[in-house]
Amino acid sequence: MSARETILARLRQRAPDAPPPPPLPPVRSTALLEQPPFASRLAAFTAILAKLGTTVEHVADVATAARRTTELLAEHGARSLASSDHALVAAVTAQLPTDIERLAHDAPRDDLLRAEAGLSSAQWAVAETGTLVLVSADERHRLCTLLPDLHIAVVPASRLVATLGCAFARLQPDAAPAGQTITFVTGPSRTADIELTLVVGVHGPKALRVLVIDD
Amino acid sequence: MSGHSHRTPDGFAAQAREALGDRTLTQAMRRVTDLFAERRAAALETVPDWQELRQQARAIKLHTLARLDHYLAQFAGAAAKNGAIVHWAEDAAAACRIVGELAQVHRATRLVKSKSMATEEIHLNAALAAAGTEPVETDLGEWIIQLAGEMPSHIIVPAIHKTRQQISELFVDKLGVAPSDEPTVLAAEARERLRQHFAEADMGISGVNFGVAETGTILVLENEGNARMTTTLPKVHVAVMGIEKVIPRFADLEVFLRLLPRSGTGQHLTSYQSLLTGPDVGVPGRAGQGPRELHLVLLDNGRANIAVDETMRETLACIRCGACLNACPVYQSVGGHAYGAVYPGPIGAILTPQLQGMHQAAALPFASSLCGACKDVCPVQIDIPSLLLELRKRAVEGEAPGAAPAKRAAFEALTWKLWAWFVRSPGRYRFAAAMARLGDKLPLVKRLLPPMRAWASSRALPRLAKRPFRAGHKDGGS
Ligand code: SF4
Repeated sequence: MSARETILARLRQRAPDAPPPPPLPPVRSTALLEQPPFASRLAAFTAILAKLGTTVEHVADVATAARRTTELLAEHGARSLASSDHALVAAVTAQLPTDIERLAHDAPRDDLLRAEAGLSSAQWAVAETGTLVLVSADERHRLCTLLPDLHIAVVPASRLVATLGCAFARLQPDAAPAGQTITFVTGPSRTADIELTLVVGVHGPKALRVLVIDD
Repeated sequence: MSGHSHRTPDGFAAQAREALGDRTLTQAMRRVTDLFAERRAAALETVPDWQELRQQARAIKLHTLARLDHYLAQFAGAAAKNGAIVHWAEDAAAACRIVGELAQVHRATRLVKSKSMATEEIHLNAALAAAGTEPVETDLGEWIIQLAGEMPSHIIVPAIHKTRQQISELFVDKLGVAPSDEPTVLAAEARERLRQHFAEADMGISGVNFGVAETGTILVLENEGNARMTTTLPKVHVAVMGIEKVIPRFADLEVFLRLLPRSGTGQHLTSYQSLLTGPDVGVPGRAGQGPRELHLVLLDNGRANIAVDETMRETLACIRCGACLNACPVYQSVGGHAYGAVYPGPIGAILTPQLQGMHQAAALPFASSLCGACKDVCPVQIDIPSLLLELRKRAVEGEAPGAAPAKRAAFEALTWKLWAWFVRSPGRYRFAAAMARLGDKLPLVKRLLPPMRAWASSRALPRLAKRPFRAGHKDGGS
């Protein structure tokens, strides 16, 4: 017997008098709850991320987002920027000063490893938890949101949903192409492994900045 | 490999005594369990439907575990359809052999690994080290104890028994860096060293928190970003997954994500969740950014036998949050090392004897005061005290005549020692309150644990028991 068959056979060795399995309850999802208006969602998103040291700014347009991105890069002393392949990211980077080195999503790995900042969008942002939801089929995000010290995310306002359940309800991975990676990002990388003292940026970004753009 | 591998589950009594004599350890344990218990309580305040969530999670798990053959086959099929390569491992040796062969086939000599209980359970590092390719642990705490050649003392913060000074000395000794007892400096040192390992690694090894049957998706949850690195940068990703990690539906993840971080560290969500559905190979014209190959190693190693045991099945509902450790008066005092096994605390006391066999771990089910705090905090409402009693019964029944009384005598001596330690410690009211709750369970307890009678009738108890039992009552029991 193969290992597969052995394991499945072991699992089928139920006692003859075993009670029938308890039923699977229907999905319990917060997506079905009434959604608060955008202003409340933004306030919740901003408040919960503030607790994690992540700032959220609401900006009117791409030009403002580009200006704020430039300023944030300067504040963090970052001169190289790794980007995802999202259209909104492309629109923002097109308006950045030329002295910032641009690294595309498919730049050589070694270059991406030394990038000082990363710029992505997100497919969904979750107000309740302060979470960015990134889907690889829609945006090549895996490296630019992970390797640099600073991660800036430009998120369309229409993508801000109320709860984690709302995001799950929209993800539909069974309809997605194979090989899809979904990443949930909530604040910067953190650890408390040394005497429970919080340290940010132990492996991933030390800082996360979010710009919510009206669309 | 480990300097403490002489510890065994059955050595609990002696190991607990040893732990109680280690002031650094007992203080660290008290700090971490207090902090996580407080944060958990605060996190629960923000979730009005906490009890409903627990019931939902429990119902999902108990249903899935009762039909695990069906859901496991469905999961494996969906994962394979999405391009993952699925391996089945009957036991620890098979799992280690599979991972070792994968390293060989891919000529992988530089391995990185993110934190995973399942890989610790099968002693994967030792097996791979024997073949000359020991993986580098990349979770900060795991890396520290790997450098030190020690064992984890807590499932969430494995190196919590080490002070910053000890970690600094370790880094000076092993890495040749200047001494510093600043956690930020030490973490920065780790970041730099481990970046190098990530950049060069040929293979990444991770665990799995949840596997979704309908989509074949695996979810890996973490705070540091090392699991993202491990599952993104190397060309090959190997995920070792206990077969009990399967849940039926993608949408069920929400319930578990709402419960798990809050129960463990009191975070509303950990920093990162990676949901991987097959290898991220990309599409024509658009390269993927992850490993070209994703291997899933489905690990039985005793789980199937638990799954078909109607009484013990719920052991497998555990989502490894660590809440029962933080709430347990015994664990709070002696820490993880005393359990002599990968899974410590209340969950370890029921899981280890079932995974390793009662002949090696019969002492563990006795290493509890049956106060019920574990059951009260468990996000999937596992009735750990009842399972402990069942295992005690089986331990006593299954032994040669004369062995059981000897075991009980040893346990009796230990419990008195623990008691003496508790009444000297500043947090003694917690234990006293826990003991008071024990009164409810006296008929059973009297039969199994002679010393409890004396405790329960102690005149000091009613006075002490007026203090609230902080860790459990908050969420209304179970
Ligand atoms: S038994 Fe329950 S409380 Fe303990 S680690 Fe498992 S899920 Fe958490």
